[in-house]
Amino acid sequence: MPSRRRTLLKVIILGDSGVGKTSLMNQYVNKKFSNQYKATIGADFLTKEVQFEDRLFTLQIWDTAGQERFQSLGVAFYRGADCCVLVYDVNSMKSFDNLNNWREEFLIQASPSDPENFPFVVLGNKIDVDGGNSRVVSEKKARAWCASKGNIPYFETSAKEGVNVEEAFQCIAKDALKSGEEEDIYLPDTIDVGSSSSQPRSSGCEC
Amino acid sequence: MIADGVEDEEKWLAAGIAGLQQNAFYMHRALDSNNLRDALKYSAQMLSELRTSRLSPHKYYELYMRAFDELRKLEMFFKEETRRGCSIVDLYELVQHAGNILPRLYLLCTVGSVYIKSKEAPAKDVLKDLVEMCRGIQHPVRGLFLRSYLAQVSRDKLPDIGSEYEGDADTVVDAVEFVLQNFTEMNKLWVRMQHQGPAREKEKREKERSELRDLVGKNLHVLSQVEGIDLDMYKETVLPRVLEQVVNCKDEIAQYYLMDCIIQVFPDEYHLQTLDVLLGAFPQLQPTVDIKTVLSRLMERLSNYAASSADVLPEFLQVEAFSKLNNAIGKVIEAQPDMPILGVITLYSSLLTFTLHVHPDRLDYADQVLGACVKKLSGKEKLEDKKATKQIVALLSAPLDKYNDIVTALKLSNYPRVMEYLDSETNKVMATVIIQSIMKNKTRISTADRVEALFELIKGLIKDLDDTFHDEVDEDDFKEEQNSVARLIQLLHSDDPEEMFKIICTVRKHILGGGPKRLPFTVPPLVFSSLKLVRQLQGQEENPFGEEESTTPKKIFQVLNQTVETLSNIPAPELALQLFLQCAEAANDCDLEPVAYEFFTQAYILYEEEISDSRAQVTAIHLIIGTLQRMHVFGVENRDTLTHKATGYSAKLLKKPDQCRAVYACSHLFWVDDQDNVKDGERVLLCLKRALRIANAAQQMSNAARGSAGSVTLFVEILNKYLYFFEKGNPQITVAAIQSLIELITTEMHSDSSTPDPAADAFFASTLRYMEFQKQKGGAIGEKYEPIKV
Repeated sequence: MPSRRRTLLKVIILGDSGVGKTSLMNQYVNKKFSNQYKATIGADFLTKEVQFEDRLFTLQIWDTAGQERFQSLGVAFYRGADCCVLVYDVNSMKSFDNLNNWREEFLIQASPSDPENFPFVVLGNKIDVDGGNSRVVSEKKARAWCASKGNIPYFETSAKEGVNVEEAFQCIAKDALKSGEEEDIYLPDTIDVGSSSSQPRSSGCEC
Repeated sequence: MIADGVEDEEKWLAAGIAGLQQNAFYMHRALDSNNLRDALKYSAQMLSELRTSRLSPHKYYELYMRAFDELRKLEMFFKEETRRGCSIVDLYELVQHAGNILPRLYLLCTVGSVYIKSKEAPAKDVLKDLVEMCRGIQHPVRGLFLRSYLAQVSRDKLPDIGSEYEGDADTVVDAVEFVLQNFTEMNKLWVRMQHQGPAREKEKREKERSELRDLVGKNLHVLSQVEGIDLDMYKETVLPRVLEQVVNCKDEIAQYYLMDCIIQVFPDEYHLQTLDVLLGAFPQLQPTVDIKTVLSRLMERLSNYAASSADVLPEFLQVEAFSKLNNAIGKVIEAQPDMPILGVITLYSSLLTFTLHVHPDRLDYADQVLGACVKKLSGKEKLEDKKATKQIVALLSAPLDKYNDIVTALKLSNYPRVMEYLDSETNKVMATVIIQSIMKNKTRISTADRVEALFELIKGLIKDLDDTFHDEVDEDDFKEEQNSVARLIQLLHSDDPEEMFKIICTVRKHILGGGPKRLPFTVPPLVFSSLKLVRQLQGQEENPFGEEESTTPKKIFQVLNQTVETLSNIPAPELALQLFLQCAEAANDCDLEPVAYEFFTQAYILYEEEISDSRAQVTAIHLIIGTLQRMHVFGVENRDTLTHKATGYSAKLLKKPDQCRAVYACSHLFWVDDQDNVKDGERVLLCLKRALRIANAAQQMSNAARGSAGSVTLFVEILNKYLYFFEKGNPQITVAAIQSLIELITTEMHSDSSTPDPAADAFFASTLRYMEFQKQKGGAIGEKYEPIKV
């Protein structure tokens, strides 16, 4: 039986509150940027069509709440992700230090089939701030961390000025496609052709 | 049948997933073979799994996410279908044949999303239809998830400004209307949940509601992302409508959460421009709502915004943000008389941080906030609440952190009044924080008034605030804190001697009440600080303007005398003696003979009356001799009296070796290099001879007591003194005397009863070597040594 072509790629963006996750997504999908800080609640996604090797894919980009109190339902949406983007703010050491937590949390919750080779991409955002003068995490330090975690691709971005955003998401899409995270192959015990299955588990009202 | 066990729930979830996967499998097959009829049939069956009532929101979300992922495939299929010529309008009709309403509505939303994208109908019409149809689900959990599905799939299809769905018929107003309606409906479902089911399950219900909250809040996030909502629309439509819903639902959980959401999802600029409206909602909330946390978060946000750039500060001034927040806090506190004091302090603490960021130049605002805090605290006992006292420390630390300068905080008249309400332990903590701030920033505190204010603040460290004994106070902690006070005293300085003297008197006034445990830490730095002032004045013309009031060394010495005296009463006689000697030396340098004499007298009295420990006596006598040797201010008579006493004390030490050493040290009192009138060779010799006699006696005692002579060390030491004075040209020290002393030592060393002492041997050998060396040097010294046979 031919499996359906994989045309949908799921990407999760994680990182501390205020590092610019929403801004990166908005810059990439809508080419828009706002300086205003607006917290994200729960999980939200936007889609974008990408052309890759003559094929069209839909990139489903999940933006998440950096503040824990706005993640009340948990992270079931991690499931089936093809790539995870870890974002930090180059002007905040804490946001960089927390990358490890985000990565581990993701691997535990999403439990991909091959955690060693699951594709991550790291983005050091806000390189535009103060002409780079308030920067506290050096590119070298960030690259060293990425190298230590199995050569995670690294990009320095500015969602505000659109620097490297396109390039980063190209890479994200490419890695997501390569990831080989196949969905659970489901085969029913018996193939029950034609008859509709009963509805044993309905309860309460008929809605 | 209620699934309250976790195990049961896992079972239900597994069953749900299995059913979902099975139907998804058939759905995939239908999609692969472009069989629309089967695709609809199996997708509807798949979605029926979401009809369950047995799962908690968390588990339901897992199931929902799986269905959600499958629906994306279906959505793509619908898109392909329309490309293949299937009418989207027909599809929209077709999916409504699904038998159960919940699957029907999920399918309708999915097709609706494609419908809007096709632009075959105005987006607003489709959205309106969908949001109305969703009313069909009134079960809270199912309804909330369905509507959050609608919110997500419509998210990028709203007729926002600049979006492709904006057109003649569709405007951002429609987008806002749609989201607000969905929000309102969701909030109703969410609040209603509170009133369904038995009362005993209230806790479980609240937990479930808490888990569901982000589904409702998500709508506010969507609104915040709508670009077309400018300040006017936010002010006129969005905020009032959202607040109306929040206030009217009269539900504690919803009000707390949604106010927090509003503050977090919308930008700071909007908050500033709508402060009246936003703050006006707070007193209308249920009395149990934790307003302080929400308000504090608002102020924290605005503080960060103010700190982000100086450009935004005018906005704050323009809308009079401080007075509005101040009023709002006042009203909230008034409206909630039962608010715990922690809440009150948290609010004021946030307001203080806010005003420090926004109005760093308006100290009166900061003082006003502290004053309001005092007012609220007054009439209460000292705080027992640990969290509340911690919060006060944060409150009081804020101005220090902001200005890096205690001097600014000292200008806040209400600052010490807030500190009054701290228990003595926390008071100390705060005092330590203050001192650390001064140390870190090297703050100059250079007027007596400020010192007065400062010591008023840190009095928790300066004296016992209550009569209770704190046995449990850790010795090391106590030392640490008193040492920090000592460092602080050293740091107080004014270049103006008059002011510096006032500072000294102020410090003195405060520390004298510190009690016997603190004085030994606090008096010495004050003494040295005073002596520094003396040295500063010493070069200057005494009383240049003849003013009665002006500060003179004499005046300072009077104060010093009284200050050090307090130590002898504690008693800490050894420390007092040292300090008296320090003072005497300073008086010497100021040519104040009577003052210096007085200090010596004080030191002698302490020696005679208070210092009884023999080791302490040895230390003290050497200090006395050393100091006295350096004194040049004394006339013959005074000097005689003092040296006479000192030699007397020396000869009366308990142990013979101690006696011997003190006595030969006294020899220096009679021969001072730079004082021509103190060159009494005869008395030098007397001292040395007396020392020799004592050394002899020591030997004999040792012989009698232990059967062996003691070490010859003392003799070698005396020999060295002989050589010193010999070189200095004391005529009483003759070659013969030295010669006989060398022989004496040699004999002693070889006598049968002597105890071998390698150290003494080495000492003697090196002394002899020195003499040999001097001989070979030639010149006057060589000639002098020549006759001595080594």
